[in-house]
Amino acid sequence: MSPRPMRKDSQGRLAYVAVTIVILILVGGISRLQIFRHVELLNQSEHNRIRVQPIVPKRGVIYDRHREILVDNRPSYSISLVRSELTKGKTIPSLSELIGFDTSLIRKRLLRNREPLYLPAVIKRDVGFDKVAILEEQYDKYPGITYELDRVRRYANDIRSESFTGYVGEVNDAETYSGLLRLRIGSLLGKQGIEKEYDRALRGQEGTRFLEISARGVVLGDLADRPADSGIAGADLVLSIDKVLQREASLMFDTFCCGAIVALDPANGEVLAMISEPSYDANIFSGAIPTDVWNKIISDPNKPLLNRPLDGTYPPASPFKLVTAGALLEEKIVNRNSTFSPCVGGWQYGRWFRCWKADGHGSVNIIGAIAQSCDVYFYQTGLKLGIDKLADYAKRCGFGIPTGIDLPHEKSGLVPTSESLNAMYPDGWTRALTLNLSIGQGELLVTPLQMAKFFTGIANVGANAGVVYTPHLLRQIEYPNGAVIIPPPSMSLRLPFSPSTLQVLREGMLDVVHAKHGTAKGLLTDEYRAGGKTGTAQNPHGENHSWYVGFAPFDDPKIVIAVIVENGGHGSTVAAPIAGKLIKFYLDRLKNLASQTEGSAHTRNAQLN
Amino acid sequence: MSVSYYSLDWKLILSAVALTLIGVALIYSAQYYSSSEVIRGYYLKQMLWFAISSVVVVVVLYIPLKLFDAGAYLLYGIALVLLVAIFFVGSTRLGATRWFSLGPINLAPSDIAKLAMLLALARYFAYTRGNPVAPKNLIGALALTLIPMALVLKQPDLGTSLVFIALLIGIWFWAGLSIGYLALSLSPGISMIASANIVTWALFFVVLLALIFYLRPGLFYGSTAVLVNLACGVITPFIWNGLHNYQKLRILTFLDPGRDPRGAGYQIIQSRISIGSGGMTGKGFLQSTQSRLEFLPERHTDFIFSVLGEEFGFLGALIVLGLFLYLLYRMVRIALKCRSKFSSYLVFGAATIILFQVFVNIGMTIGVTPVTGLPLPFLSYGGTSLVFNWTLIALTISAGSSWQEY
Repeated sequence: MSPRPMRKDSQGRLAYVAVTIVILILVGGISRLQIFRHVELLNQSEHNRIRVQPIVPKRGVIYDRHREILVDNRPSYSISLVRSELTKGKTIPSLSELIGFDTSLIRKRLLRNREPLYLPAVIKRDVGFDKVAILEEQYDKYPGITYELDRVRRYANDIRSESFTGYVGEVNDAETYSGLLRLRIGSLLGKQGIEKEYDRALRGQEGTRFLEISARGVVLGDLADRPADSGIAGADLVLSIDKVLQREASLMFDTFCCGAIVALDPANGEVLAMISEPSYDANIFSGAIPTDVWNKIISDPNKPLLNRPLDGTYPPASPFKLVTAGALLEEKIVNRNSTFSPCVGGWQYGRWFRCWKADGHGSVNIIGAIAQSCDVYFYQTGLKLGIDKLADYAKRCGFGIPTGIDLPHEKSGLVPTSESLNAMYPDGWTRALTLNLSIGQGELLVTPLQMAKFFTGIANVGANAGVVYTPHLLRQIEYPNGAVIIPPPSMSLRLPFSPSTLQVLREGMLDVVHAKHGTAKGLLTDEYRAGGKTGTAQNPHGENHSWYVGFAPFDDPKIVIAVIVENGGHGSTVAAPIAGKLIKFYLDRLKNLASQTEGSAHTRNAQLN
Repeated sequence: MSVSYYSLDWKLILSAVALTLIGVALIYSAQYYSSSEVIRGYYLKQMLWFAISSVVVVVVLYIPLKLFDAGAYLLYGIALVLLVAIFFVGSTRLGATRWFSLGPINLAPSDIAKLAMLLALARYFAYTRGNPVAPKNLIGALALTLIPMALVLKQPDLGTSLVFIALLIGIWFWAGLSIGYLALSLSPGISMIASANIVTWALFFVVLLALIFYLRPGLFYGSTAVLVNLACGVITPFIWNGLHNYQKLRILTFLDPGRDPRGAGYQIIQSRISIGSGGMTGKGFLQSTQSRLEFLPERHTDFIFSVLGEEFGFLGALIVLGLFLYLLYRMVRIALKCRSKFSSYLVFGAATIILFQVFVNIGMTIGVTPVTGLPLPFLSYGGTSLVFNWTLIALTISAGSSWQEY
């Protein structure tokens, strides 16, 4: 059954009534303001001003995996100016005197501020309490000047954590609209690293107070019908970084200028340590950066702002032979025992292709070729594999694509194919390029993070063999209301290698560290059996780059580490010892931690008994 | 002219002219102390738009209403195309994509969409067979409304999409749907809001069941209403809790920008102080001392009523509201008089749109309705809005003067 339509005349009557009611509601609302609250509102209109005071919430603290503080805040004061309240010829000169800013600089900052006139515009951050005390006492000398309790970001300065923490800075014009909510000019915002990636959670939500100000500038208190909104504090983050390992790693570059270290937990992709050298001090970004400091940073030829683990791209060199070797085994071009022309220090293919060892390696199988890093073995076999097969395997191993780490800006590196080489060399290129690519030199480019990520797949054993997890830093987000978000580890890819192939690759890497002819022999004693691979990336602009990638313990890997030292020379002499020290340091630390927890459990039990 | 000069509803026209001229005076006053010459000249631009509106009115009067009837769906289609096109070629301001930039003119298709929606719904109900409020007719009209509404919401423009809802309800009412059924139609929306609190929602559900029991709407209406309300009440909290805090905040700010205390919230405080300080007779023309009003960047557009309230007080507000009341009475009268169904729906729908905008805009300036960015018809500064409202008046007088035939 359907409803019956109303009769037209009753509709008409209802319509007149509805219009009248709506208008009467408005009349009621207006009379409430204009008749009943007239005196109060007239008073407000004539005598008092309303000032909008933002309440900046605490930005979230960033902890390491053992809840050691990586980044926190220290209290400070910011001085702001409310344009609608300033007195011409008085406010700006006296402010300039107080904080030591030129009047033109203050005007410039005000001009940048496109907020409504009634909102305070931050003029100077991190002002001493003495200045605030002056403002407090002589408020009538500074009409329109306010101060707010603010916080300045504090980065632990003994661990060089900027490669992943990033930094915060004042929003720029392009960033003021983030989503639907407008950010106040002068608000702090994550600009790089974790600070940027998780800015929304870390920042929280700004609160607001509506203050009633008397004509003389005295704050009378909160506006009667607008209670203060205290905002929401930012969420704390727990990262997978081990601060102690990070600190140890940051000491490793004492004698070298530039490079990167990435340490991952292969079981879940967690980043244990990440170093970019040279670094900068993120603390300087929290206030206004002095121009000379900024110029020094950006004109430094060693590029401290380049985040090498993610944005530095290098030829992968010999560690890439593991990709070639895996592809050769999978394509059945070689088996674990096949040998080819013995290495005599080089191989003739159009021209003479040198092996790194001038004396030659003699006849080696694939395990020996990995352990001793014989170039000649890979020249011959790589040629059979072909460039596109090799490129295909490289991509399926995670090269040439971003790793997916939870940090902004990440380079993809470069994996050349015959197609891309055609574009790169319109006049043609020879198959000899394939020789270089199969030992990881030439046009190939990888980031240290991609390198470490790839080796987690080789490190992993058992059910996880060949599995590569997405590298990530975030362990959990803890919101102030008690909610906790724990992102589960996500599998990034599975290496395109069968278990038997992986077995051969692992044996080769074990021999690098533990066999007689291994290129990193003696790096670690038998206490920690480890797999590794040295590398020396040819650098046409100077001394070669020194690579080492390794994992340990061999049968139950806890750490995968990639080290590159720019212009460091041979992998075995520079990068490998650094990696060896850090692996030993970390495994010792794990042992100590385990015995500590065991010890405390023991004590607890004893007490119970 | 397709209508005779003598048959025009001059009372209606004069009340709209009075409102427009009051608007021009208020715009003049609102920006009298502005330091920018361009902004001080806004009242002249508004006069110019009034002149353009007059031309539009004459043109509309020359076009037989039959043509609007016949072209209703065509215009509806064009409006849809414009609403889609704006996502590709529109310009984005303050986070919303609502405008086409045509050289110096920014054209917002929202007003065209409102007009198209009005004509389409009028035509739809003018040609329904049998019982106009049979479920299939109501649902057809709903579908007709939801498509442009979704596009407008996407911009995002909450104000215009609310106008669509108001228009649909007005037209449903004019088609003969009783108050009880209107309440039933609105119940899912209320359920969604009430579901924030389980007790409130349960109470509302009891009221709903009582309403259904009273109306006895039959199996289709009854069961649909119960099921849809159950679904809205149960699913909404789930979806809501699944959202991130910042997503919730976005929705809340979208639904009620007054929550954003820096901008809209401050404006409302200042607007209320302005109106309240006006008292019974106001401070006098150009006397809104109001350094305070400088803080209302929208005082010549969305907050024009605050200027009225401050300068002319309660009496001034009563005069303007009286004019609106009179204008709306005349419109309802014409809607009742029209013999052509199309004209009748058209005029009643136009009245609904004007009434809704008056309510939401003035409600906003006194702090009882959310900030939606809807202008006050005839008074707020703005060319498209003025032309649109005058088009509604033109259509109304055209319908009123030819009520006997078409």
